Amino acid sequence: MPKCTINGKEVEVKDGQTIMEAFKKADEPIAHYCYHPGLSVAGVCRLCICDIEGNPRPQIACNTTVTEGMKVSTKSDKVKEGVKWVLDFHLINHPLDCPICDQAGECGLQEQYMAFGKYEPEMAEKKVKKHKVVDLGPTVVLDSERCILCSRCVRFTEEVSKTNELGIFNRGDRSEIGCVEGKSLDNKYSLNTVDICPVGALTSKDFRFKQRVWYLKDSDTVCNGCSTGCNVKVYFNKEGMFRVKPVHNEQVNGYWMCDEGRNIYQFANKENRFEKGIKKLGGASLETMLPGALAKELHQLVKSGKDQTAVVLTGQYTSEEYDSFIGTLSKEFGIKKVYHWNQNEKQMGDFDGLLIRGDKNPNTKGLLKVFEKHQIKTEWQDLEKSLESKSIKNLIVAGPENLSVFADMDSKLALFSKAENLIWLGAAKVEALTSDSGKVKNKNIFVIPLKSFVEKEGTFVNHSGLEQKFKKATTILHETLTLTEVAILFAGKNLTLPSAVEKPAFVESQRRSDQVQLEHRKKNEFVFKRGTL
Amino acid sequence: MEVKYLTEFYHLDEFRFLDGYKKHGGYVQLDKALKMQPQQIIDEVKASGLRGRGGAGFSTGMKWSFLPKNNEPRYLVCNADEGEPGTFKDRLMMERAPHQLIEGMIISSFAVGSKKSYIYVRGEYDFPIKVLEQAIEEAYKAGYLGKNILGSGFDHDMDVYRGAGAYICGEETGLISSLEGSKGQPKLKPPFPAVQGYLRKPTIVNNVETLAAVKYIIRDGAQGYRKYGTEKAAGTKLFSLSGNVKTPGNYEVPLGYPLMDLIMKEGGGMKPGRKLKAVIPGGSSAPVLTAEEVAKATLDYECLAGLGTMLGSGAVIVIDDSQCMVDMLGVLMHFYHHESCGQCTPCREGTGWLNKIVHSILEGRGRLQDIDLLIKVADNMKGRTICALSDAAALPVLSFVSKFRDEFEFYVREGRSKVRGNFYAQMHH
Repeated sequence: MPKCTINGKEVEVKDGQTIMEAFKKADEPIAHYCYHPGLSVAGVCRLCICDIEGNPRPQIACNTTVTEGMKVSTKSDKVKEGVKWVLDFHLINHPLDCPICDQAGECGLQEQYMAFGKYEPEMAEKKVKKHKVVDLGPTVVLDSERCILCSRCVRFTEEVSKTNELGIFNRGDRSEIGCVEGKSLDNKYSLNTVDICPVGALTSKDFRFKQRVWYLKDSDTVCNGCSTGCNVKVYFNKEGMFRVKPVHNEQVNGYWMCDEGRNIYQFANKENRFEKGIKKLGGASLETMLPGALAKELHQLVKSGKDQTAVVLTGQYTSEEYDSFIGTLSKEFGIKKVYHWNQNEKQMGDFDGLLIRGDKNPNTKGLLKVFEKHQIKTEWQDLEKSLESKSIKNLIVAGPENLSVFADMDSKLALFSKAENLIWLGAAKVEALTSDSGKVKNKNIFVIPLKSFVEKEGTFVNHSGLEQKFKKATTILHETLTLTEVAILFAGKNLTLPSAVEKPAFVESQRRSDQVQLEHRKKNEFVFKRGTL
Repeated sequence: MEVKYLTEFYHLDEFRFLDGYKKHGGYVQLDKALKMQPQQIIDEVKASGLRGRGGAGFSTGMKWSFLPKNNEPRYLVCNADEGEPGTFKDRLMMERAPHQLIEGMIISSFAVGSKKSYIYVRGEYDFPIKVLEQAIEEAYKAGYLGKNILGSGFDHDMDVYRGAGAYICGEETGLISSLEGSKGQPKLKPPFPAVQGYLRKPTIVNNVETLAAVKYIIRDGAQGYRKYGTEKAAGTKLFSLSGNVKTPGNYEVPLGYPLMDLIMKEGGGMKPGRKLKAVIPGGSSAPVLTAEEVAKATLDYECLAGLGTMLGSGAVIVIDDSQCMVDMLGVLMHFYHHESCGQCTPCREGTGWLNKIVHSILEGRGRLQDIDLLIKVADNMKGRTICALSDAAALPVLSFVSKFRDEFEFYVREGRSKVRGNFYAQMHH
């Protein structure tokens, strides 16, 4: 365990670790583009140069192993001048089209320029022309002029996804990233290349031109796309959610996540959600109401038919919700008929070797644990039988959030149709429930919209039994409920619910003296609109 | 004075073939070497003071002793990717005496314990490749290659690998990448090739001339080899003399030989009415020497290093007063821009930038600050990359601009060459 001094701070690193890792440990900033902790060392950007005491030439931090007593510094004028020049070499052929570049605001070049640059450009020659808008595959677009050839994406396809689609072609300043002949960047992890691209060369077709990143807030959460439970960051603003990126967690997902998981933001957005509680009684037309009010109303129904009530749960909710939902219902009404809707029984054990698992529910393990706690031992066949024999009148279903992985939706709805009253709890908008398609034949249908995974806090237990707590990221639909809240309302207890009345944006009589300007500015406010590629 | 040590029989056509080679003492040293202990050969090479003839001038015996002491398979690779502009000695050696190289390589392989060796020849060397392949075939038939060579129990195989003509593949790790079948790009060091090289196995890469000389060290012993040369630069070396001299060509002279003598005696002096202006002593990447410096220079590693340049591959390019230095730098920069592998940013972008600046000057669009900019850019490319190509591009710029600044300033001010008088544009269109 050699000790070394990084910019005056003493740190101890593991044997064989590099100066770069020592810098990270000492929490000292060091410029770098090609180095990525999840990939092999390339040592080509030459930005991480640092002074090592006793060494006449500056060395690169990413490929120099720490030795005992090493004194490393990035504070000398020589290093600063060196970094400035290497940065300049990166920039001389860079198009500097930040105003129209998607990466602007989170770009490595911009960051380093603010830290080390801020100089007058000396390049007076014509820039090298390269390919623009290169379609690499179904998910990624390349702009070769912006590319700084750090080779991270190439190493990613070689080492992590092991699909080898990308390569660097040509030599010298004519070098360009491209797909190997006959291949396109089409793998289940392709969008990671966009994350690790330090500049705006690789952009995601899904996120491209949708938002400037400085209009987005972010928050950490856990992906609910499958039972791996990748740690992710979601990006959102008042318009809704826009993208998902992985967060490093060595125990779970390393630095990566799959492309499928990046779509989870979509089913938390308004357009794919039930916004209001829906009541459809005996073939009458739809009646919408506040979710809380509907849940309160259903207290009587559940109470009166408690012996004929069954509950169906999917593995898409938090452990806390399961616990309180099952707990409350069994305590208040003695409901023990709780069933696990497992839509992917056959592929439960599937695993692609990296991250993607066959179990598409984030919390199957958590649900089974809660079942164990409340001693619930039920078989799906029993539910089918009792529905067949009409011994179940009320069926409460906590449906899926991620509809795309529930291929058996139609057949299950047909099964659920055999109950008289269907109480559907769920975030995702299931068209069949409200449309006249005839897929759902229950006499009475009640739909209570729930909160999506970004709107609540809780715990997911992943495939390996690891409990991951996450916090609330944002609120997209204010009036929706969690399973916990639904259970309390079903039990007939009181709950302070969010008010339905929206605050008026501006009240003339309450105008402050300084508000004139704000109003004036409001007229010119940027209007968020989601476009297409 | 030119000596005939390595090149003793180069004038004989029969020396190219096994029979002729054997007639003049061929494969005798192999027999002798196979009866020695490998360590004994390494010690002998170390004691002889043989230094790498490819450019860096690193002690060969020392390089060999960096190999890990275990039984891991290891490789010997002969670097015949003679790409340094101005160098053409390896070509002569391969064409005239392929068996000399092969014998040297078998002895060296025996010393380092390699069972397989490669000769990496640059793609343009069509004829040398044919000659080598033929010679290897002959050697196999005669039992000098293959299983149980000369009854010693030592097995060795040899192959010729044809490069694609990239300058960067002359760099040893670039060569190894190319040999492995990937794009010829230098690898990060450490690990050094002697520890992890070809196919991640210990690998020794030596120049053609270095490996050929090993045979003579075995023949004459370390002390015998030291008959020529200086204390720190032992032996003879082939110099490829080119440029504005009367008789350009390859000349073998002992190290420490005066540079002026090489030009005036071996090269036959300057052309009538011309004066010596400058000399690039070690291939295009070596800093240029002015006429005054040439008078002081001797052809050995230390003297040239003292003058701020290097012996390099031994390509002596003579420049007389009819040549425009701006023009020459333009040619060099075009070359390095074309040959940069594009891996490291300072080199990838810097070589292109330098090329553009020099050509701006040549096309009459130069600004006076461009001359200082050339120095600044070159300064910041030096020592900042994985391999030495960046330095190789930067060093000529620094020496050309600092030593012939008046020519550059004249070009910028007048838009034409101080020496040639005519416009670059006229010359090229």
